[in-house]
Amino acid sequence: MAKQIGADRLGDFYTTGRVRKRREWRGLADTMYDYSCWLKIMLILGKFLMCPRNIKAMFRYRWMANYLAVPMMVDRHTQGLRGEYLRIAHTEFDLVVDDVAKLLSNLFRADRRIGNDVEFSKKCVLVDENEMTAVMMGFPTLKGLSRETVSTYVPVLQNQHAVLHYLDVAQDYGLAGDVCPMPAAEAGVSIDDDAPILGACAIQCNTTCDGSLLGNGVIAKRLELEDGVPCFQLAAPLRHREDDVQEYAAQEIRNAIAFIEEHTGEKWDWKYYFECARRVNVATESRLGWLEMNKTDYPQVFGSNLALYTETNYMAICGKIPEFEKADRKITALAEKAYKKKMRAAKEYRHRAIVWGVQSHYYMDFLLWLLNCWGIVPLTDMLSMVSTRRLAEEDTPENRETAIYDMAWLTENMIMRNRTHGGYKVLLDELWEFCEEFNADMVILWEHMACKALSGFHGQFEEMARERGIHLVWVTHDLFDPRVVSRQGVRDQVNNYMRTVFGEEPIDPTLEVLPDQESW
Amino acid sequence: MKAIWKIILSLAAVVLALFVVTFTVYFFNLDMKLTAAIEPFLLKHYDKIKRDSHL
Amino acid sequence: MKDLKHLIYFEDLLQNAFNPLIAQAQSEGKICAAYSCENIPEPLLNLEGCFSVRLRAPRTGSMEMGTYYLTSFLCEYSRALLERAIEGGFNFADCIITPDGCTMMNRCIENMELLKAVGKDKEKFFFQYLEIPMKCDDNGLNLYTLQCKNHILDPLSKTFGIDVSDAALRKAVAEHNKVCRLIREIGEFRKGDKPRITGYEFHIITLATYAAPKHLILDKLEETLEELKVREPDEKDGFRARVVVVGSEIDDVDFIKLIEETGAYVCADRFCYGSLPGRNPIELNDTEDALTQICRHYMQASQCPRYMNTGKNVARREYVNALAKEYNADGIIYEQIKFCDPWAYERMVGSHVLHDDFGYPVLSVDRPYSIAGSGQMRTRVQAFVESIEIKKIQGGSANG
Repeated sequence: MAKQIGADRLGDFYTTGRVRKRREWRGLADTMYDYSCWLKIMLILGKFLMCPRNIKAMFRYRWMANYLAVPMMVDRHTQGLRGEYLRIAHTEFDLVVDDVAKLLSNLFRADRRIGNDVEFSKKCVLVDENEMTAVMMGFPTLKGLSRETVSTYVPVLQNQHAVLHYLDVAQDYGLAGDVCPMPAAEAGVSIDDDAPILGACAIQCNTTCDGSLLGNGVIAKRLELEDGVPCFQLAAPLRHREDDVQEYAAQEIRNAIAFIEEHTGEKWDWKYYFECARRVNVATESRLGWLEMNKTDYPQVFGSNLALYTETNYMAICGKIPEFEKADRKITALAEKAYKKKMRAAKEYRHRAIVWGVQSHYYMDFLLWLLNCWGIVPLTDMLSMVSTRRLAEEDTPENRETAIYDMAWLTENMIMRNRTHGGYKVLLDELWEFCEEFNADMVILWEHMACKALSGFHGQFEEMARERGIHLVWVTHDLFDPRVVSRQGVRDQVNNYMRTVFGEEPIDPTLEVLPDQESW
Repeated sequence: MKAIWKIILSLAAVVLALFVVTFTVYFFNLDMKLTAAIEPFLLKHYDKIKRDSHL
Repeated sequence: MKDLKHLIYFEDLLQNAFNPLIAQAQSEGKICAAYSCENIPEPLLNLEGCFSVRLRAPRTGSMEMGTYYLTSFLCEYSRALLERAIEGGFNFADCIITPDGCTMMNRCIENMELLKAVGKDKEKFFFQYLEIPMKCDDNGLNLYTLQCKNHILDPLSKTFGIDVSDAALRKAVAEHNKVCRLIREIGEFRKGDKPRITGYEFHIITLATYAAPKHLILDKLEETLEELKVREPDEKDGFRARVVVVGSEIDDVDFIKLIEETGAYVCADRFCYGSLPGRNPIELNDTEDALTQICRHYMQASQCPRYMNTGKNVARREYVNALAKEYNADGIIYEQIKFCDPWAYERMVGSHVLHDDFGYPVLSVDRPYSIAGSGQMRTRVQAFVESIEIKKIQGGSANG
């Protein structure tokens, strides 16, 4: 119960049940700030629940129950934070909460089962969860909505058990248990008749992996062949660094735009596109600035503050929502202020780590745990190391052609797939380059066991880390399924390494073993 | 004048009471404790819904 | 039935990845172009001066090194290939050409490259990776053509001086078609009530056409075809049901054998390394360049589940139905090699669609790379055959 960073024994807040004992006292100013943010979230949720169709949806869709845990999700990602770090986290998470609430409201408004607003539905284009939404950057009057984001992706952030039901459904239908649980859960939602039905058309994408590509086939079978929502499969090349795939990628973008125009009757708006492109550039510059700070002794925007926000802003927002530009600027201002004051987010920094691989989605606040428990600073993560290319933002005839290639490039360089595909250089070689740039002494390597692209370099990671003298800590997990590796199982892999290899004691021993198996 | 003061004081009392209540809810995590209690009923409800489950 | 004259010869060819015919072809000065996926157009590797060999790892035992590099979560085919490469079993290859077809195959070959496991002492050895289309459309065709040019034809021409002209491609297709037509004709003997060839025999012969230089087995294939024309089928062959086998790659000689030993006749082979559609001839016209036509053939014929457009997805299941009808099948076995992502999904959907929408009894199984000792698989297939039999006895239609 103190203002100072690291004053609390954070493990003491845990219970064996779903939720924590109480919230933290962070000193008067920070507690009042956190309280005011909590109030804001309550207002967002209250406003959401004032709409009868949202209540109706709450009783129709199983995944909606997970939204009961929204405030706790924010708490988990602000654990132990003070000052600017707390403000950065809230700027990001509160905005994401607001954005997801709007996404849900729009989905239910158009959903044939709930709001059934037919005219509105005609202005909706369904997009994948893990899809670069660049093809929506020129359609100001259309809504690009993702059913998978709200039914699987966000729920797992809130509740580690969120999609277990859907995984079981998919496996009941004969899907092998070893495929990536993300597309498996998305397929399970579709099979279980638990996806909203809406939209003038859908743009699916081969996204990250073979599983995602194939999972879309299951979804399209119902969406297109039964619900009559035409689907366009946007095929982004896998070898995205090669020159001889770029024309193919660009043509896919042209075809996707033409498809949307055909099914919605809307025309591509270049003015709006370049506005969005400018905002993407702002986001890129901001991210680059944060990463530069993270190369110093005083990193400011890192861990889940970097990872989750980048994921949302880069891929789902893609310049379309002005509020995110404001947030980018605010975060940068907060980070610069803290940097000038040489602030640190934990009482002790012991190791500088690059977090690589695909994070365990059911334990996204693990990055904060690394910092609070062991003083490991997660400087950056694989999912944040995405495209830094500056997009053309002035509307000229040449730039319109360039813009097609820019969108193609963004789509090829979606989060995760820009590293897991495209040859070994992007996954292996560049990791070691980042270690050098960020002056990292260790790599936390998420081994998402069902991700074949990552597992396929297990031996190479081992050998290359050894050659370079970098501490490589494997953290195995199953992305959406804590039954395979629990949160404590995740922590134990780090605990064991820190104790046996480094011979260190935790900074906050109450965090080493936590009774959070049943927790949201 | 007295009436204005009365209104201001009443408003302040309401705001204070709201603050005390909401802050208590906030600090002791009562919002999450309540929703955690609701969750099992919702899950039972979802199990009862008839669904057209198929590929 | 009387044994086929060349069956043992073909079986012997499949005992090792580096079979004697590969050595023979190389001694003739030909270049061995190894590949690992059905999405590589074979005729492009069979131009004058080179020949194709599809990588296999027969008689695989331990896969510990492969598992160390790839983990136990990658399919055993990719692990077995990497293991064999590390052991030096693929050093006969003069180049390896692979598509980013599935992630696991990509990682398998990339590991070979990083470990320098292949191409030892071969100055000109190269690896090439291709981006291949995920949809069957014009854009996909343009990509396919460009990639085949940049990653197959140009490297073969620049490195080994292979003639990659249109005329050379047409000649290669003509040679390829000879093999395809022979296999197709041999495969026709599976259709009758009393088939003159077992599914196992056919599998061995087909597999040999992928694993050995084609020009060196052409005479044996022709002789086998002639032999089959006069082969007397057994009065009672012991088969109790006819099945189509559908799924991921099968280069294990024992899988089809195991199925047939349990009483199910494999009348059609819809899997990678099978003949349907892998041994369909490529029809070329004179108005368009050969490369584009070859790529179009592969794109349109491919039954690989990585093709993601809805039309292709639906067509895959319709194709299985058409085969089952054409080959008069009683049931369908959907198989996937364990840990294969694409076929995990396709098996799930296909087995439901073929059962629910088309009315076939379907057995859906996953399997290891090497199956010979699998009692579990034997039991499952036996039970499936019995269920088909019971339905027949009860007079019900084959509706599962």
